[in-house]
Amino acid sequence: MITLDRVSKSYPTPAGRKIILDNTSVVFDSGHNFGILGINGAGKSTLIRLIAGTEPPDQGIVRRDGRVSFPLGYGGTFHGALSGRENVVFIARVYGASVRAMLRYVDEFAELGAYFDMPVNTYSAGMRARLAFAACLAVDFDVYLIDEVTETGDERFRRKCAAAFRERMARSDIILVTHNRQTIRQYCDRGAILADGALRLCDDMTSALDRYSRSLLAEPPPC
Amino acid sequence: MLPRECSYKLSNAESFSFKDPPPATFFTALDAGELNLCLDLLRRDDDPGADGAALNCRLAEILFHRGRRDEALECGRRALAFAAGDDADTAQFCAWLFSNCGCHDEAALVYECLLDRSPGWTEGHRHASGSLAASGALDRAIPHAMRASDLAPGRGEFALHAGCLLIDGGRLEEAVAYLRRALDAEPDDNPTLRALSAALLALGRQDEALSLARHAAALEPGDAAPAIHVCELLMRADRIDEAAAIIAPVARAGNATALRVLSGVEMARDRAAAALAVIDAAVTAAPLNAEYHLHRGHVLYRLGESEAAAGAFGHAAELDTDSREAKRGQFAAFLAGGRLSEATALGGRLLGQFPDDDEAATAVLDLLNRRLGTIDPEIFTHREGEVRAQRQAPRLIDALRCQCRVLHALIIRETRTRFGESRLGYGWAVIEPLLHISVLWVMFALLMHGRPPIGKSFFVFYFTGLFPYHLFIHTSGNMVHAIPNNGSLLQLPLVTKFDVVLARGIVEVVTDLVVALILLSGFCALGFAGAPDDVWNACLALLAIAALGWGAGFVNAVIAQRIRSWDKVWVQATRVLYFASGIFYAPGMMPDWVRQILVWNPVLQAIDWFRSACFAGYQPHWLDRTYLIAVAIAGLLAGFGLERVMRRRISEPL
Repeated sequence: MITLDRVSKSYPTPAGRKIILDNTSVVFDSGHNFGILGINGAGKSTLIRLIAGTEPPDQGIVRRDGRVSFPLGYGGTFHGALSGRENVVFIARVYGASVRAMLRYVDEFAELGAYFDMPVNTYSAGMRARLAFAACLAVDFDVYLIDEVTETGDERFRRKCAAAFRERMARSDIILVTHNRQTIRQYCDRGAILADGALRLCDDMTSALDRYSRSLLAEPPPC
Repeated sequence: MLPRECSYKLSNAESFSFKDPPPATFFTALDAGELNLCLDLLRRDDDPGADGAALNCRLAEILFHRGRRDEALECGRRALAFAAGDDADTAQFCAWLFSNCGCHDEAALVYECLLDRSPGWTEGHRHASGSLAASGALDRAIPHAMRASDLAPGRGEFALHAGCLLIDGGRLEEAVAYLRRALDAEPDDNPTLRALSAALLALGRQDEALSLARHAAALEPGDAAPAIHVCELLMRADRIDEAAAIIAPVARAGNATALRVLSGVEMARDRAAAALAVIDAAVTAAPLNAEYHLHRGHVLYRLGESEAAAGAFGHAAELDTDSREAKRGQFAAFLAGGRLSEATALGGRLLGQFPDDDEAATAVLDLLNRRLGTIDPEIFTHREGEVRAQRQAPRLIDALRCQCRVLHALIIRETRTRFGESRLGYGWAVIEPLLHISVLWVMFALLMHGRPPIGKSFFVFYFTGLFPYHLFIHTSGNMVHAIPNNGSLLQLPLVTKFDVVLARGIVEVVTDLVVALILLSGFCALGFAGAPDDVWNACLALLAIAALGWGAGFVNAVIAQRIRSWDKVWVQATRVLYFASGIFYAPGMMPDWVRQILVWNPVLQAIDWFRSACFAGYQPHWLDRTYLIAVAIAGLLAGFGLERVMRRRISEPL
């Protein structure tokens, strides 16, 4: 269970302060997978980082009950100068996981071959995503935070990820940010819409998607 | 609008006079009923003489009454061509014929020609107006209609006609005047009453309109049209129950229009079920009226019977393929019934037919979005509500363990990249100070005539100065880079900026210590006797300088988050320390006033503390260990505190 208790978050932009959350309280119950919807620039990635704890809120508290993963996104949690293997070892050490077991899992799952021992800087975006997925899945988290990366990689790898998450779902939850409705339907049973400094939960995904598409029609995303 | 009465009856054609005896064959054929033969004869006759017009008229009339309109028109046109300029009878007949055959513009032309010759012909104006109105030339029709009524003000029909045309032309005030004239002539004429009512309504004089309409309805209680008119007026006035009372008896009599209106009234009364029964009756009475089906669809949709509504809208769309309403209705009904495939197909047709319909486009877009959302994904994760093992609340020991794990991981990571891509890697850590000391040795061995200020060896003397200095410079200078160098690792929530800065500080100290041990072992191997006399005191001195370096490093790291080029400023500032810290000299060699300033430099204090531990004989009186420890602790506190206070702010992008 993750609780946002009267959380406010904003950050400065050249056009003034951008408000992501304004005194918002939300509970992400365990046993449910949440899909977070929001137009570009609504602050979905920032929200995910808040939930993860990568970024502190301006005000309020984020309480995490159980082990919450690092945000799995395009941003990347890897040190570019280190090899994939060294990065995985680092993550294993940080999370206190067995280094050897984790290396074996990632090597097998990410299918990087010889690239596993090359600096991450030399990876393509798809390879990075594969490494990130594998490293994240290798650690036994209670909540996985995924930021828009489920669409990376080829069809086969996507299926592999989905299968791995399905298997993981028996004991873990997912909080997912994406534009892809299909992905959301595939993974999530509850929705949340981030807009205008508020995060509204919807008890089922269909109503969330409906509400979201209506809000999309009402105000087109800024281009 | 056809002329309501026509002066031409069949018998009128008998009045055509034949100047010459008509050709025998024509009449023989006419009497025998051989119309085709007559037609042939007239067609072949290029120059029929004076009787040509009359003969054609005669045949045209017979053909018209037999229903052969095209041939009748042909004869009529021929008659008009053969007629003499002053032959009004032929012209009148032709105008009548054209008008009744639907060629209103030709009829209007003939009437206008006739009126040019006899402008006072009342009926002529009426006919011309009727034909012009029927051919769509309302502007030209109205003056004729008004003229006809003005010429014969007592004829109600003329006034009514003029009034109706004026209503159509939007000249309502004039229309009312003419309709009142018509009413003067025939006070109880129902169409006039209704027309006047409509005109008054259009002028916003609702009460007058309603009383006239009621009067009309009272005059003909069984008639549908006046009742429907009253009903519409009442509906407009929002008097729905009265409207229902008026229309219901007429509708019960079976009039389809009245039924349709009643159904609308019932809908307005929010009685959809009753409305459905009524519109069903209307549809049975007039099954081909698209509007009835459309209305029925709306009623069914309101009742929530989307399936039946879609059928009704479909009927309407079939009967009236240009109806946008019917298609939109069916689209909505499909959507409501969940028949998304049909809705999509229909939406496509709807947009194809009416590309400017923004509302429909929005609806179709919404539908497509919804469909996209309902496509069943390949893997659908459905989970049972599973009770999970409750996690124990994290204890302090867990937090500490986690902190140690993170630091451990970071320290190992730091050592991997401490010297970047250099092939010599860690070797540089040893070579760099060694070169440094050698250069100093070469320079000062010559200057000082082979004797260091303290001890016996230049190497050891410079080492005792350079090592604490490096400890300070490396920590305070390199901890600044820890945050930018580890940017991506900071995405891991467990890894904080504090962790990376601290890990960098630890790595710097450990590195310098290892290097120092290597160098000292080297000196010993070469017989320089570099081992410190008081190891314990030496360690304390190193700890103090390391703490000083960490404090400065934390402060720098926080400042560098807000001021990007702070690390360069710091490097310049510490260059001064190289000369002000007694690395290659002893403070005792300085004049007193210089030394009294220099002793405020904590790095110099640290170096002298370290030297006093290394060389038992060197105990300077200016050495103040308490001062150094106080500065170091203050620096550490400042660094930690600043990081703590600025934690939220320094995470913001600049």
